[in-house]
Amino acid sequence: MALSVEELKKAIIEKAKKAPKPQLYIKDFYECDPDSKPRDIKKIANALVTEGELMFWSSGSTTMYARPDRIQNEEK
Amino acid sequence: MAKHATPLLDELEKGPWPSFVTDLKQQAATKPECWDILGQLELSYKDRITHWKHGGIVGVFGYGGGIVGRYSDVPTRFPGVEHFHTVRIAQPSGLYYSTENLRALMDLWEKYGSGVTNMHGSTGDMIFLGTRTENLEPLFWDLTHDLKQDLGGSGSNLRTPSCCLGNSRCEWACYDAQELCNSLTQRYQDEIHRPAFPYKFKFKFSGCPNDCVAAIARSDFAVIGTWKDNIRIDQAAVQKYIANDPEYPANAGAYKGRDWGKFDIQKEVIKLCPTNCMWMEGNELKIDDSECTRCMHCIMSCRAPFVLERSKALPSASAPRPRSLMAPSSPPWSFRSSKSMPKMISRTSLI
Repeated sequence: MALSVEELKKAIIEKAKKAPKPQLYIKDFYECDPDSKPRDIKKIANALVTEGELMFWSSGSTTMYARPDRIQNEEK
Repeated sequence: MAKHATPLLDELEKGPWPSFVTDLKQQAATKPECWDILGQLELSYKDRITHWKHGGIVGVFGYGGGIVGRYSDVPTRFPGVEHFHTVRIAQPSGLYYSTENLRALMDLWEKYGSGVTNMHGSTGDMIFLGTRTENLEPLFWDLTHDLKQDLGGSGSNLRTPSCCLGNSRCEWACYDAQELCNSLTQRYQDEIHRPAFPYKFKFKFSGCPNDCVAAIARSDFAVIGTWKDNIRIDQAAVQKYIANDPEYPANAGAYKGRDWGKFDIQKEVIKLCPTNCMWMEGNELKIDDSECTRCMHCIMSCRAPFVLERSKALPSASAPRPRSLMAPSSPPWSFRSSKSMPKMISRTSLI
């Protein structure tokens, strides 16, 4: 059974905090709940960007998601 | 006076062709950072390596595309290009701009950027080259609120869909390419502005097999209009072409500035058909439609004899007509009111 929106938000934030690399593809978040549709996970990830929990990071060719504190530390 | 000596770049001004070096020097009169573009490029020529680095946290809030980060890796030597980000502005369907809109866009870029542009990128977006991170949000605010325009796609997002002129100016459009482009642009706004894929993805819409937007070559999802049923042939018009009637010039008169000799329908049309599906029976031109690949070469070479039926494949299609039957043209659109224009969406309506 698919996770609720709040559960999925927590799982995505946890994943972004604990992943070995700070930058994550959207498809990395799909693993947070294999029962949820990729599009729903993308909407929740985008909502987290709006809330400031995640931010976009660009490699120059690919746009990825990251925790603001992790990525800002890395860029320093 | 030049800020940096650029002997290598100066070589590029010596040919009989337009030079971006000359243009940048002119631009530097009002935008001094252009000297640093030239200085850094001169250094790249000497070092044989680029001094641009890209990527990082660059963008406007809520958008994962539309801004492409560019930084100098020698900012102390060239502070004017320490930040030199690219901004992509979504194009309207068919690339129609009013002069008023273009002036407003240029004023915006003079205010917030280097004034250097690239029209257009291969996806069709208008590219603004060179601004600093702190200018991005104010530029985006003015773009979306004052001009009601939006950023285009970049990175691994869906790129801004693009289409040909379609029914608005072309007799060959087999469906309303602008309408379809607009519909899908609206439908996939989220994918244009926020990453959905591991790599870029492009839609392109061509109204006919001439494929003026290179949908086959340059997109992942190409929609190309074609006609239904068989091509009908006006045999009287065929005879006019064969007789070299001045009212029926080959290629619609596109090459008439030079004497190419008598029009030869065998040599210039029938033998150039890639599937050999055309032949003459006496004075009659015949086509085996089952062998036709719809490349449109014959139609472009001698237009009037061919009558194509409206496509049923897509809604809002319009029947292509021979040039001789076209009504006097008047612009079927107006810049702001056309339903074919993408309706620009501001960020606030998306969040």
